[in-house]
Amino acid sequence: MSEYAEMQAAVPAKRILINWVGLWTIIRREWSRVWRVPIQAFLAPWISALMFIFIFGYVVGGNIRLIAGHRYVEFVLPGVLMLNVVNAAFLQSTSQIYFQRFLRYIEETLVSPLSYVEMIIGSLAMTIVRSVVTSIGILIIGLAFGATHMNNIFEFLFWIVSVSIIFGLLGIMIALWANNFEQLTMLNVFFIAPLSFVGGVFNTVAMLPGWMKWIAYANPFFYFINGLRDSMIGFDEAPHGVGIAVALGLIAIMGAATWRLFSIGYGLRE
Amino acid sequence: MTPATIPASTHPSVPAINIEHLHKVYRGGTVAVQDLSMQIQPGDFFGFLGPNGAGKSTTIHCITGIAKPTSGKIEIFGIDAVKDYREARRLIGLSPQEFNVDTFATVTQIVDWMGGYFGLNAAQRKSRVDMLIQRFDLTAHAKKQFRELSGGLKRRVILARALVHDPKLLILDEPTAGVDVELRLDLWRYLGELNREGKTILLTSHYLEEIERLCRTIAIIAAGKIVREGPKAEFFTVPGGLEKAYLAATGKTAEHVTASAGAA
Repeated sequence: MSEYAEMQAAVPAKRILINWVGLWTIIRREWSRVWRVPIQAFLAPWISALMFIFIFGYVVGGNIRLIAGHRYVEFVLPGVLMLNVVNAAFLQSTSQIYFQRFLRYIEETLVSPLSYVEMIIGSLAMTIVRSVVTSIGILIIGLAFGATHMNNIFEFLFWIVSVSIIFGLLGIMIALWANNFEQLTMLNVFFIAPLSFVGGVFNTVAMLPGWMKWIAYANPFFYFINGLRDSMIGFDEAPHGVGIAVALGLIAIMGAATWRLFSIGYGLRE
Repeated sequence: MTPATIPASTHPSVPAINIEHLHKVYRGGTVAVQDLSMQIQPGDFFGFLGPNGAGKSTTIHCITGIAKPTSGKIEIFGIDAVKDYREARRLIGLSPQEFNVDTFATVTQIVDWMGGYFGLNAAQRKSRVDMLIQRFDLTAHAKKQFRELSGGLKRRVILARALVHDPKLLILDEPTAGVDVELRLDLWRYLGELNREGKTILLTSHYLEEIERLCRTIAIIAAGKIVREGPKAEFFTVPGGLEKAYLAATGKTAEHVTASAGAA
């Protein structure tokens, strides 16, 4: 009997409650995968954020009056940051699940003692890590323009983490559904990018005509950007608590939907 | 991992694999397995034969969790493979027919990650990974990406990955397809050792010689059904041995096959 088998025999087989090592392994694997493409994963969003902040915030913003006592570059930074968090979260979760399906190494986790919840949490954990690293880079870029402020660090973390989870879950669902790379990018092109741009990245709701204000209030991106802006510069246009309720509601609904897809094996099991 | 109850039976009368009335119908209506029942005893070396598309891999996929059974029961050492899937999967090591790996990962990463999924801590993984990399003569390739390896080396990595958590039940789906004679002979020796140590092995292969040499029990599947099953000796009671028994069980004769080949 081998050394490891003896060790296993000595400790009776027990029911697993949480496979912590397995969970950590998913994160280690994804961290290794992300570090194969550091330019795509981190440098690209940082350069993109730098350009947005420089052109819209610094150059154009230099000619715009103060918004609620804040320079335009300070107003724009949270929006730009949120755009990049959304992108980082969505790209991380779609690519990790889709590549696992495409190369079939999702079977490694399917044959192992990992629960569906652990698989989902493992994927989301790395999604959050990538969003946080992306955010830190953008905050440092903002510092160079004197635009980074932190009104409430806990609120800031809430929005970074919750939006990462929302778009991580959305990315997982899309990656389970998609059968080619074209389908993988469809949601980003037709839904995420347009809604995020009209969600108040560059403007306040007060600047919009009356009917568009109601569209803004119906757009979840508005609450994400507004919440992050409040956490950074204390500028808040939404009724208190609505943004948090929208975020937590979306996490609950999308979390349940993703768990259901995993449990029926949608896009995973033959 | 955190504990609660003892699931796996180690009693010799509890089969390593118990399948009852397994049905698998794919989306689109393809019936891959129909009313398949079989048992594999602990410590057995079980050969699973059948033509391409007969349902061998589908059965294995249902046992291991890659496919969802449409109906029927699968137990691994007495544990329900669907209801208590996590406990059941802990006991199984799978070497699949196709290379289902992250091709950009290194050999060490592939084996190490699999150990991690199975809950092995860092020290256990290090010990198992080092041993297996050495055992499969992969030391010189340990830091290479999977895509850089030859077919034979890739097959070794897949086998090392299947063994990293020292499973009680090893399922090998055509493990010697495309490997050279040297590795095949070495693998046969190693599988014999593992089986003598007490590991139950389920082997599918198209090489009848391999099945004949290694297995003690043989089952033949055709069109999703077990058409013949029994101890190896039973297949050699008639002239022509396993090959003739296989062709007869799958509805072919040697003349049949020769005629088809001639027509082609």
